[in-house]
Amino acid sequence: MTESKLSIVDLTKKYAAGLAPAVDRLNMEVEEGHLVALLGPSGCGKTTTLRMVAGLMDPTAGSIMVDGREITQEPVNKRGMGMVFQSYALFPHMNVEQNVAFGLQMRQVPKAEQKARVAEALDMVQLGHLGKRATKALSGGQQQRIALARALVVEPTLLLLDEPLSNLDAKLRDTMRTEIRSIQQRTRATTLFVTHDQDEALDMADRIAVMNGGLIEQFGSPIDVYERPRTHFVANFIGQANFLTITVGEDVGPASAAGERNYKIEVPGLGHFGAVGASGLTGRSLPVLIRPHRLRASLQPSASVQELKGTVEQVSYTGDTLSIAVRVGDEVLQSQLHTTSGSLPHTGDTAFLSWDPEHAYILPEHAKAVAA
Amino acid sequence: MSEARLFKPRFNPAKPIFNIVVFLLYLFLLAPLIIVFVVSFASNQYLSFPPEGFTLKWYQALPSETIFVEGMKVSLIVAVFVTVVVLAIGVPAALALQRFEFKSKAAMEAFFLSPLLTPSIVLALGMVLLFGPLNLNNTYTGIIIGHVAITIPFVIRTTIMSLATADTSCEDAARILGAGPWTVFRRVTLPIIRPGVIAGGVIAFIVSFDEAVISLFVAESGLPTLPVQVLRYVENSADAAVAALSVILILISLAVVVVVERVMGLRKALN
Ligand SMILES: Nc1ncnc2c1ncn2[C@@H]1O[C@H](COP(=O)(O)OP(=O)(O)OP(=O)(O)O)[C@@H](O)[C@H]1O
Ligand SMILES: [Mg+2]
Repeated sequence: MTESKLSIVDLTKKYAAGLAPAVDRLNMEVEEGHLVALLGPSGCGKTTTLRMVAGLMDPTAGSIMVDGREITQEPVNKRGMGMVFQSYALFPHMNVEQNVAFGLQMRQVPKAEQKARVAEALDMVQLGHLGKRATKALSGGQQQRIALARALVVEPTLLLLDEPLSNLDAKLRDTMRTEIRSIQQRTRATTLFVTHDQDEALDMADRIAVMNGGLIEQFGSPIDVYERPRTHFVANFIGQANFLTITVGEDVGPASAAGERNYKIEVPGLGHFGAVGASGLTGRSLPVLIRPHRLRASLQPSASVQELKGTVEQVSYTGDTLSIAVRVGDEVLQSQLHTTSGSLPHTGDTAFLSWDPEHAYILPEHAKAVAA
Repeated sequence: MSEARLFKPRFNPAKPIFNIVVFLLYLFLLAPLIIVFVVSFASNQYLSFPPEGFTLKWYQALPSETIFVEGMKVSLIVAVFVTVVVLAIGVPAALALQRFEFKSKAAMEAFFLSPLLTPSIVLALGMVLLFGPLNLNNTYTGIIIGHVAITIPFVIRTTIMSLATADTSCEDAARILGAGPWTVFRRVTLPIIRPGVIAGGVIAFIVSFDEAVISLFVAESGLPTLPVQVLRYVENSADAAVAALSVILILISLAVVVVVERVMGLRKALN
């Protein structure tokens, strides 16, 4: 196993006795140069985790290691981190250059070198021409870039970003997303990125830590957490999801992904279908996940494939895609199709749903998974 | 110009009435100042109104009134020291009260703000009794302690107000960038809360310079401040020299405010 850049072991934070811990024995290993997104709903402990790593807050228990060295007790000003805050937190009484130079001054870098590095950092965020500007006279996106330059100019051991894009308008957010990602890849700064926006996490991160209720439900690559969620919560939080409770039947051989098997599954009372999942699931009752855009819906029954028969409850047409909600027994399933010029289904029509077995994933539903 | 005319507002009868009320209110508030100003140029032999003629003799007499000159010296020395001391205590106290959670916080807050709610005569009496055995009556130290006690609530108030509106993540950012606690305070916190600190300092200076009750009790006989000298003077003689002095005092206060406003932006500091 390669040495991790950052290891978090059983990190716990209790704000007050009697309160449920905000972070509950959290474990995580981050590889050098990776951008890891801490993704989760409001209040799940993302900011708390980040502040403990930064040293702004003392953990109740657990340890934090950087490059194999324990830093849990190290004061915040000795940790050499870089952080970008949601509010950017630029020093209002300093101009752009002075802001960026602050960390270098604290490190007693010689004046001439300071100057060169500040200029370099400002060029990196494409604001080299604004060095003498007061920070008040900057737009949100510009302030954001300055905050990033200020954090990166010190070549931090870790770059910590707490929802850096949430104060920007939608368009700028997309631009900054790409820009932060490309700067991160160029500087190879190991980065923790807090967000509650799943698209942001999927788009930018090397690894995503999906958090819920103070711990990590799943830690994996974007493809991993999207295609192979460990839990119902993860599947639901990342992208849209349909679930059907099924009984796993016969194992019919290896699937394309390593270690996975193809199974026959039974949707109770509605027929037999195919799905993939981890080995050894035969006989259990588990949820199966089918993403809406992989659930085919048609108004005519097919002769060759097994289908679920249901009734169209809702149709929503947005030009590019057509979303329909189909009631099958007690469940309502969402299906998303690319539109063609043909006629649209109507509420009350009978629809036939089907899927490819490799697009239906049986959740192992180990209730609380631990980070890999 | 012509465009603005298009939007000429309809005549509103409430408006002139409102203006008259506001004018009368200002007149009422400013009347004492105006009268003092007028009287200071009046040739009446005794303090009285209306004036009988114009003269500058009261102003010309001021420099030779040694008690005023002495009082002015004492008051200025006291006010300067009070301002320095009250800021040195008040700003850290405000910082502690606003930024940290500790057990005796509510008690501390009450302690620092209580002089605002206590009549100065009560404070003054307490101080005389307390200072007696400590040999602090009739000393600069005694007056300064007294004035610090009554001005500290202002400094704490204005500083806490600035702290409450400041973004604490600026301080966090500085700490992460490697600044120790003192550097964070000096290079980030203090510049951010500067308006509140300056406002508190100016108020403390003016309050101390004007203060009469405590000074009277604590140091009337040995170290009379200017307000005390004025009181004494009015007791003995009833000419308009005090009016001229009052005008000078108003101008000094005004000068302090204007200078601070020019140099550091007091108006910004006060709101
Ligand atoms: N100072 C505090 N005192 C007590 N409880 C706190 C404090 N700060 C946070 N909490 C609680 O700890 C939990 C985690 O908070 P945290 O700020 O880490 O959430 P988050 O994941 O960053 O949420 P968001 O997406 O809303 O920023 C929440 O339930 C919150 O109410
Ligand atoms: Mg947060």
